[in-house]
Order: sequence, then C-alpha cells, then structure tokens
Amino acid sequence: MEKLIEILEDIKPDVDYATCTSLIDSHILESLDIISLIAELEEEFDITIPAIEIIPDNFNSAERMMKMIERLQEEY
Amino acid sequence: MDIASLFLGGSGSVMTSFFSLTFLIAFLPVSLLAYAVVPHKAKKFVLLIASLVFFWLVSSVLIVYLFLTILSVFLFGKWLDKIQRTMKEVLSKTEKEKRKEIKQGFVHRQRMVLLLAVILHVGLLLTLKYSGFFADNINSLLSLVNAPFEIPVPKLMMPIGISFFTLQAVSYITDVYHGLIKADGNILRISLFISFFPQIVEGPICRYSQTADQLWNVKQIEYKNLTFGLQRILYGMMKKIVIADRLDPMVKAIFDEPNNYHGGIIFLGAVCYTIQLYMDFSGSMDAVMGIAEIFGVKMPENFERPFFSKSVSEFWKRWHITLGTWFKDYIFYPVTSTKKMKNLTSSARKKLGNHYGPLIAGGVALFCVWFCNGLWHGAGWNYIFFGMYHFVLILGGNMITPLANRFFKAVKLDPECFVYRLFRIIRTALLVVIGELFFRSTGLMSGFGLFGRIVSDFSFSGLNSELLKKLSIDPQDFIIIGITLVAVFIVSLMNEKGISLRDKIAKRGIVTRWCIFYALILFIIIFGAYGFGYIPVDPMYANF
Repeated sequence: MEKLIEILEDIKPDVDYATCTSLIDSHILESLDIISLIAELEEEFDITIPAIEIIPDNFNSAERMMKMIERLQEEY
Repeated sequence: MDIASLFLGGSGSVMTSFFSLTFLIAFLPVSLLAYAVVPHKAKKFVLLIASLVFFWLVSSVLIVYLFLTILSVFLFGKWLDKIQRTMKEVLSKTEKEKRKEIKQGFVHRQRMVLLLAVILHVGLLLTLKYSGFFADNINSLLSLVNAPFEIPVPKLMMPIGISFFTLQAVSYITDVYHGLIKADGNILRISLFISFFPQIVEGPICRYSQTADQLWNVKQIEYKNLTFGLQRILYGMMKKIVIADRLDPMVKAIFDEPNNYHGGIIFLGAVCYTIQLYMDFSGSMDAVMGIAEIFGVKMPENFERPFFSKSVSEFWKRWHITLGTWFKDYIFYPVTSTKKMKNLTSSARKKLGNHYGPLIAGGVALFCVWFCNGLWHGAGWNYIFFGMYHFVLILGGNMITPLANRFFKAVKLDPECFVYRLFRIIRTALLVVIGELFFRSTGLMSGFGLFGRIVSDFSFSGLNSELLKKLSIDPQDFIIIGITLVAVFIVSLMNEKGISLRDKIAKRGIVTRWCIFYALILFIIIFGAYGFGYIPVDPMYANF
C-alpha cells in the first residue's frame, strides 16, 4: 500500500489518498493521470492491467486499486 | 392546416420521430396497452414484438440487417463462451507452471474471434455508410492522374439506426471477450437488447450490462413511472417542436444559399443550427428516456447540460455521453493500454514530467477517438474535419493547462471566479458553434467558405423584416423560441445546482400538477412548429 501511495503522490501530489474514495468520480485523477498510473503500476507490481479494468470502481480509492492489483497478481 | 403533416414524423417515414402523431397516438398507446394487459410473463415479448414492428415500419425490408446483427452477436457470444469454458476446463487440469502458456493460446483464439466479429460488424457499417464516399474519393484521385476509367459509385440503402446498434453489438461481443459479461444463451433477450424501439433510432448507446436484464425482467407500469415518463416526453417535445423545428426553415435557408448573406447572418445561422441540433437531439433523448421510464427501464443519460461546460473537453463529457463513453472504453483506453504505449508513457514521463509525459500516448489515442468520432457522424470530409477540429482543441487545451495555471498564479487570478468561469463557458460555446458550422456545411470547402465569410464580412446589415420573411421566420418566432429557451435554461440551471424540478412538482397537490401538465400540452399545441407552413423534420441524429 505504501508503494502505491508513493506512486500516486508522485503522479498527483496534494491529495489525501488514504481517505479519498472518489478519485475518479470527483475528477481528481483525470485520464492523463490514469495513463501514467497504469504504466507505473504495471512496472512496480509486475502485472498487466488490461483496458477493461480501467473503470471508476477500480480507481476511486487507493484501497480499490490495491484490491485490483492483488487480484491481477493472483491471476494465472 | 395541413392535417397530413401532423401524421408525418419526417420526410422519410411516418414513424421516425417520436413526436409524430402516428407514434404518439397510435403506436405508443397500443404498445403500452398490450404491455399492460398481457400476463407478466408475456410482457417482455410484447416489448420485443413492438420493437421489431417499429423497426419494420421505419426500415421495411432493411430489417434484415437488424436480424443479421442479432444472429451474429448471438453466435459470436456463444463461440467465445465455448472457448472460455474449454480454457477453464483445461487450465483446471494443468500444472500451475504451464498455465500461463496454455492460457495465452486460448486468449489468442478468443482475440481472433473478436477480431473477426469486429471486422464483420464494422465492415458492414463501413460498406453501407461509406462505400460511396470512398468510391468518390478514389475517382477524384483517378481523375487527378488522368486515368481513363472510373470505379462505380455504389448507392446502398442503409437501415436507420445502424450506426447505433452496430456499436452496441461490438460492445456486447467485446464485453463477453473480456469476461465482463457472460454470453447470453437467449437470442430473444439479445434481440430486445439490440432492438428496443425507443433507443434504436438515435440511441443512447447502451452496454449489455446496463439494459439487457432490465428489459427482460420487466415491471408493471407504475403510476409514478407513467407520469414522470409522460412529463419527460412532453418536455422533449417542447424542445424539439417549439424550438428545433421552428428554427429549421431559417437554418435551412441560410445554409442552402449562404452566398446571399453576410458573415454575421451566417454566424447567426450557425448559432441557430447549434441550438436546433441540441434541442432536437436532447429533446428526442428526453422522449427515449421518458418512454423507457414508463416501461420501468432506466437508460443511461446522453446529455448533462453541455452548454454549462467550461472547456471543449468537458463539453464532450456532457454531450452525447454514451458515444463518448463508448469511444473511451473501446478505443481510448485500449490504445493507451498497448504495450508500446505503456512503455512510451513510462519513458516520456521520466523526461517530460507528469503532465506532458502521458500526453503523447493520450494524444495518439485521442487522435484515433476523434478520427472515428468524425467519421461515425457521416461520410464526408467535413465530418472528418469536425473530428480533427475537436482533437486539436482538446489536445491544445491539455497542452496549455500548466502554462495557464502558472499565468493565473502570476497575475493572482482565481480561475474559479464567476467572471472567468462565464468567459470560459461563452468561449467554449463559440468554439462549439464553429465546429457545428463545418458539421452542417455541405462539404469541407463550403465549410471553409462559410467560416471565411464570417471572419472577413462579419456584418448584420440587411437583417430586417424583409430578410426574416425570406428566411421563413418572423419576430414572433424569435419571441416564442426565446421564451422557450429561457424555460429550458431555468430547468437546466436548477438541474445544474442539483435541484430536481420533477421531484418538486411531484410533491405539489394534484391541481397544481395537472395545471402544469395541461399548460405544457397547450404550450406545445399552440406554439409547436407543425401543420401549415412547416415541413416535418426528421430527428437529426437518425441520419448519422
């Protein structure tokens, strides 16, 4: 989780990622941030995030992102 | 009064418009009645039969394309499902180390099936919609090199709504491929999802997960849904018949013979066309939402008050939302998610920073989206230019954002202050009007000609009652349009502030509610542009 928050802060600082649950719905993370985020997450966590996973539900909070990362890591 | 014109929804068909009397006093009530009286289990079949009858009435034998689409969607879904089930079976019996390799083989097979499906569906749309355009352009090239021959220009009949239901078909197959939804084994449910009559002419473009189950697991008609649905249909009817159709003769006169007018009048024509398009399309969407609501179906909204947008990018998140979402889900993110693009983003971000780094991959994807968006609207260079115009505006807007923010900081200007927000709203509307000028023009060169005239000859001289008469409009028309636009603006402003006027009205007593209802009906009957002197106007997006 710490690493994820670090990446998020690097991409878009000054956001309380520990508590915010509407990162997409409140337009805090825009599409350009998502493009960066996906590239960074794939590199850091050794996963592949297909386009289909790019839905608000997976990116609205750091917790949801972590759940998606763990799920993708567990896949074959 | 020309009574016959009341029964025509448009020049092409008696049913194309949801505001034609044929639809409103015959087709819709009969469908609702049949839906209400049949046993619960049969209601979904009434919806399906009504949808197919509706499509046959507007497209006649071209309904065959709809049947082919449904059958193809069903079979491709089953095919993908079969591969996925076999994959699961094989993987469950395979050692963990070998699973990745085996899975890749199955994924490759699925990808090929998806590719074939997309080629077939998009190919059919391309053939029907664009083969004439491609042939024309090839002939132009051939004549440039003095080739002694020409290729024949095909004139194919295209069923109404194919641009919309093709996108739904592709989204269904793609979602099955990604495992987001299970392939539907019930071809009748798929048929209803693809052909539901309120949405087949102009959308909204729905995903299977949004509407298929709602349509299949039908509800009784409830009083609240009926009244709310009828209110929404009436509101849409007011937008379409009182504003859009009343503006039609004037817009037509200006764009048909622009050489007769000064730039100022052409600009006025472009503004009126933008208003007409918005009122026509969003009014029709109100009718679609209203009809669906009566059946207890909640469809995704297609408009969120786009003219309150502060940037072109925001405008397109609020205008024809379901098309924008489709392009985002099935083009934008898939392009930025390719391995090459991800690597490009990673390396560019290190060199160019957080803003400009992802902008390269984002720009490539945005180009693909806007090229397709332009082409989707029609087979013409002006439509492609329309797409590219918005691509440049949105990309440009993104590029200057950091510089603009720095500038605001330096001059201590609050970008959220009212005056600056208003300036941004007006600027966005102007940029949209220029885009619509090209969109409405008869060709790209004509569009540039009109734009040039606005820039070089911005004059309103000659704008008098004589000219208005020539434009088939009079000062009273402007007053009626103005009053109705103010009403729409007030409703929109309330919605923008999160106030639901419909809920407020619903809380009022029965007398007030019915007074408002009757007032709206009377307003439409008295001020609607139909009958003598008006040619019924087809819903504008039905042609795209």
